[in-house]
Amino acid sequence: MSNNRSARVGLAGILLALTCAPVVAVDLGAGVQFHGFVSQGLIHTSDNNFGGTSDDGIATDARELGVNLSWRPNPDWLLSGQVLSRWAGETDEGGPRIDYAFVERALFNDGAHQISLSLGKIKNPYGFFNTTRDVAHTRPGILLPQSIYMERMRDFFLAAPGVALRGEHDSGDHYLGWQVGGMKMQADNDELNYVFLPVNTGGRFEGRASWLAQGLAELDGARWRAGLSFGDVAMDYRPRARDPIPAGVARMRPLLLSLQHNRESWTFTAELARVEVISQPIAYQAYSEGAYIQATWRPALEWSVWLRREGMHFNVDDKAGRRYTVRGQETYRGRTHATVLGVRHDFTPDLALSAEWHRIEGVGMLSPQDNPDGFTKDWDMVLLQAAYRF
Amino acid sequence: MTPAWMSAVRIRGFLPGVLRGGLLLVLLGLTGLAAAVDVVAHRGVSVGAISLASARALFGMRQVKWPDGAQVRVFVLADGHPVHAAFCKEKLNLYPYQLRQSWDRLVFSGLAQAPTEVASEEELIARVAATPGAIGYVRKVRPHDPVKLLDVQ
Repeated sequence: MSNNRSARVGLAGILLALTCAPVVAVDLGAGVQFHGFVSQGLIHTSDNNFGGTSDDGIATDARELGVNLSWRPNPDWLLSGQVLSRWAGETDEGGPRIDYAFVERALFNDGAHQISLSLGKIKNPYGFFNTTRDVAHTRPGILLPQSIYMERMRDFFLAAPGVALRGEHDSGDHYLGWQVGGMKMQADNDELNYVFLPVNTGGRFEGRASWLAQGLAELDGARWRAGLSFGDVAMDYRPRARDPIPAGVARMRPLLLSLQHNRESWTFTAELARVEVISQPIAYQAYSEGAYIQATWRPALEWSVWLRREGMHFNVDDKAGRRYTVRGQETYRGRTHATVLGVRHDFTPDLALSAEWHRIEGVGMLSPQDNPDGFTKDWDMVLLQAAYRF
Repeated sequence: MTPAWMSAVRIRGFLPGVLRGGLLLVLLGLTGLAAAVDVVAHRGVSVGAISLASARALFGMRQVKWPDGAQVRVFVLADGHPVHAAFCKEKLNLYPYQLRQSWDRLVFSGLAQAPTEVASEEELIARVAATPGAIGYVRKVRPHDPVKLLDVQ
């Protein structure tokens, strides 16, 4: 009931945005710009819940709504902030929050080379898609590849207060961009307990000083793009009173290789990650891995079709997921393999409708919070999404 | 471009008229393609030519400052406009969808502002002429257009 009501609110939001958009001045003058996005998804799964009560039903509380303001008072300064509301099953219930808010100062700018310093809550660069993962129009499908961009880890890995140094260099037909940031992740998220412990006994994680870096090269007019993202992200586990799990440090050291080839009607994208996961409280150390390859075909300006194959293992030494499991949990909890087929139609340059079908083996991408009654190993998922941005 | 025209003039004397006409048509077609889109700027902009790297940085919303320190203002046509598609391919060596993806990534992560989209080439000329630091593009600048033609090298 409340789901249906909130779905109606979401759709009403899209319609409202559509109606208002022509009169909303995006450029407010004096160097101020206003942008936003809204999407409403419907999810049905044959088994297991994803993004709400999707099993044998339709989850309607998959919704994203964001607005941002930016102000460039002069060429050397930029102030940017975005507020985001997001609904996704039990793990996200729509409370508005600051997605990013930072000030950027240009340190060097001679036309083809820019270096700048940012301070505030900054999006974490990770792969091709992490910084704008909640903006439907920037994703290569309805859902980002869960093998690399797990929804379960989203909140934790999305953005963090800190400082970043960023450089961009254009040379003829080529481009090089890089970013190095120091931050403290916002780790007050129940889902982390399931990922790092992996049971929730009521303790909390708290961010420690961490760093992330990314380099991105574009060759031949960005027909070829290659990126490398890596870093060291740490947090402290603070047990609650009489917590059976002791205090300790949990750590992730990701290494992600991103490749893309762009042609007029085709885009081929592949990303491959290897992440060292250390959880001192339960004396656990392992490498997790994830990869996907996607082909996207654009037969016309307003149509695209894509096919993706992806896979993820929490522990590369245990691909069947046997040792990862604790307390009698099923073995396929440690992995996800999927084939994804999708189509998108852009009704206007700013309004897109998409449909996606997933054939999935394993449940590594699923949240135990959405699935209190357990999991089914082989399952299908169908998603529909309407998305608008301005 | 110039050598092609000169050779056309040189051969005019001895080729039969039909062939000569055809050759001239081909040459006109080639030069027409090569100069299909003109990059224009506000008359106060301090440069007369920009490099390909600079053109990509300017329209990629990365370069926000002219060499004299003035703020850059970028005006563009809609993604589906034929002049936009021609501009992306000929002047930036990009497909329009790549430029759009790049703008979206920057705008929704707060790293840059979006270009200003206008409805027609006439409006683009008018906005560029009226906005200090402005840059844009049109199919062909006319002699009386109150803007500056920028050569992309």
